Amino acid sequence: MIYKVSYVVVGGSHPGAILNQDTPPDVGEEIQLNGERFEVVEVIELLPPRDDLAYLHATCRPVENAP
Amino acid sequence: MISTELLTRSELFAGLTSDQIERVAALGIEVEYQSDEVIVREGEASDEIYVVREGMVEVLVSEGAIPDVPGPPQMRSIVHLGPGQTFGEMALVDRGARSATIRCVKDGTRLTILRREELLALCDSDPRIGYPLMRNVASDLSFKLRHRNLRVRLEGKGGAP
Repeated sequence: MIYKVSYVVVGGSHPGAILNQDTPPDVGEEIQLNGERFEVVEVIELLPPRDDLAYLHATCRPVENAP
Repeated sequence: MISTELLTRSELFAGLTSDQIERVAALGIEVEYQSDEVIVREGEASDEIYVVREGMVEVLVSEGAIPDVPGPPQMRSIVHLGPGQTFGEMALVDRGARSATIRCVKDGTRLTILRREELLALCDSDPRIGYPLMRNVASDLSFKLRHRNLRVRLEGKGGAP
């Protein structure tokens, strides 16, 4: 299965991303979008799966850098 | 000949057999870009569709571009597209000019380029390729629209400006 994921970032200036990946994102997981770090706060199935594709949406927020 | 391995991971080729994907891939050329290189510019004529094999590109649209106002328009980044994504598909179906500028944001980004007329000719000659491929183009455009709608809804919760 290939997971086509719509990442929308809440807060910050990153425009979000769409990409295909081998595993689905998980809530609480930290991801990187072009070098910037984000925490996944919500994952929903955006559309029913078709062929070998699953369609997901993930809401993310920027990870604050430790002082 | 382009390797079809990475292309099979793109929605554009969902539902096609390996042989059918190879026939489409035979039309393509592979190119590589580095960060900040512009791949296509908004407003230009277009006759190609692009598949991101590796790396990342950024979709930018101009804001407040008024012909009588001097200076370059402000460009707004609206989404990044990673492996498996396509761009240029709007021109595939409507023959319009580029609706956005696409800029590479990761060194070594590899793309497959398919020329519009060649791809449409293949779709016309073999509907077993043409139908699923056009369905996939429609599905991808729908997904991008859903992504944009979600982003607009979430803007009120502190999303990107």
